[in-house]
Amino acid sequence: MSQLAHTVRGVDHVAFPTFDPAGTVAFYRDVLGFPVAHSICAAGWGPEKHPDFIHFFFDIGNNDRLAFFYYFGYKPPQRGVKGDVYARFDDDIPDFFVKSRHLAIHVDSEADLTEYRRRLDNSQWPVELQVQHETIESIYTHDPNGYFVEITRALRPVTPQEDLDANLTVDALVDVVKGPDVSMAALLTRKAELIIERAADWEAAQR
Amino acid sequence: MALHRIGLIVPSSNITVETELPALLHRHPSADFSFHSTRMRMHTVSAAQLASMNAQRERCTMEIADASPDVILYACLVAVMVGGPGEHRRVEGAIAEQLAAGGSAAKIRSSAGALVQALRAIDADRIALVTPYMRPLAAQVVGYLESEEFELADWRALEVADNAEVGCIPGERVLEAARSLDLTGVDALVISACVQMPSLDLIDPAEEEFGIPVLSAATAGAYSILRSLTLPVAIPGAGSLLRADTVPAAA
Amino acid sequence: MTQLYMLDVPENTPIVDVADQDPHVTVDKVGPYFRIAADTPIVINRHATGCRQAVWYSSVAGLVQSRVTQWDKDAMRIEPT
Repeated sequence: MSQLAHTVRGVDHVAFPTFDPAGTVAFYRDVLGFPVAHSICAAGWGPEKHPDFIHFFFDIGNNDRLAFFYYFGYKPPQRGVKGDVYARFDDDIPDFFVKSRHLAIHVDSEADLTEYRRRLDNSQWPVELQVQHETIESIYTHDPNGYFVEITRALRPVTPQEDLDANLTVDALVDVVKGPDVSMAALLTRKAELIIERAADWEAAQR
Repeated sequence: MALHRIGLIVPSSNITVETELPALLHRHPSADFSFHSTRMRMHTVSAAQLASMNAQRERCTMEIADASPDVILYACLVAVMVGGPGEHRRVEGAIAEQLAAGGSAAKIRSSAGALVQALRAIDADRIALVTPYMRPLAAQVVGYLESEEFELADWRALEVADNAEVGCIPGERVLEAARSLDLTGVDALVISACVQMPSLDLIDPAEEEFGIPVLSAATAGAYSILRSLTLPVAIPGAGSLLRADTVPAAA
Repeated sequence: MTQLYMLDVPENTPIVDVADQDPHVTVDKVGPYFRIAADTPIVINRHATGCRQAVWYSSVAGLVQSRVTQWDKDAMRIEPT
């Protein structure tokens, strides 16, 4: 495992373009209640000329921020038939892939999740899907830009053995993708080898 | 000679920055400068007008950055200082962020920050000031400098509220105010702690008369600009601060 | 020999318990993992476990010379390779 000091502090900002700043503000600030945390008004002064733009930020909790760029007078041609305003896909790309990239925001309690569900359901952007299983419960919708947004709560805290398991999965994956057989079966086989190698020692070290 | 483009963000009624800074920097022995300014509307140096001036900062930064300056001087002193301790760092930071977000390579300095920088560069701890402001505003300038850990030995407020009038205060009146100060143990005199009150021709004579370094918001601004461009600080006839890198002529 | 591993977390214990009901199956621990083994193929009925899909489909942590030949909403079948 890594010996490096881990001093990063979460998401300073994750940024996306928008062509509908009013809709974006309505969704995040007015419906969800995420405060506007910051904004920058600037032009394209660097070597690649680009339009004047506003970069604006919403607080999504924990000092993390979700940011948008709005470029005055710029909208690229929208290609493809599905996706969001940034990533567009033709019909031959399956939905599981189109929906793979998403932002999931954490809430602590059932009451909080219910409240955000209520806010969305009372808006133009109602909850499209609610999923619960043994460990998490999530609600999903698309924002005005087509970005897929999830709000989720954990039903129980993560246990130390799950951290170990995650690390074994990642190690197994990195090994398997270098090898001849890149498949789930190969991954589970490699992971079993790692379990045999490391799990007993890990448990002893926990005591 | 290399040409350096200087951007200036000035209060709209200001005439002194665009007079004194070019006058100073055009004396530079090895560099050329061009000056380009943008203005923030202000007539009365009051707290309300100063606040509205700060709100124009974004527009001014946008405009001046379009000219691709090498360095931008946010030429406001009291407008920054009324924002409370550390405000020059916040303002410079906000402008820097705006410039960086748009990929501008321009550096940003402020007159308020330049004054602090210049006083520190000459190791001045105990200082005296002449300001044109009404007393309450002058007291805020004093408080700001005290928060930067300078000891304010003595200060004057000439109480001229109209900014256009400030631009016409005769040098004799400024010098009279300076002479009335108790300069005991003072390391440096800021003969004009204001970007509008002219003082350029007073600086060398005042240094002669008082025997201590004399600076102004303008000379501090020029100092800060030269340092930001890593140019030698060698401007004649405007006080010892600006002769920091001047090599004395061989005897 | 059929052998698989499952992480010891609350959601997986119902699955392990159902597997253990088969007299041919032995269950022991390697660190925080259950090791589930048998000389015959192992079949686990999902309905008997009562667990939901997301947990069901992510419950297997490792396979030793075995493969999953059936893994659907009804059952999981693991056989030796």
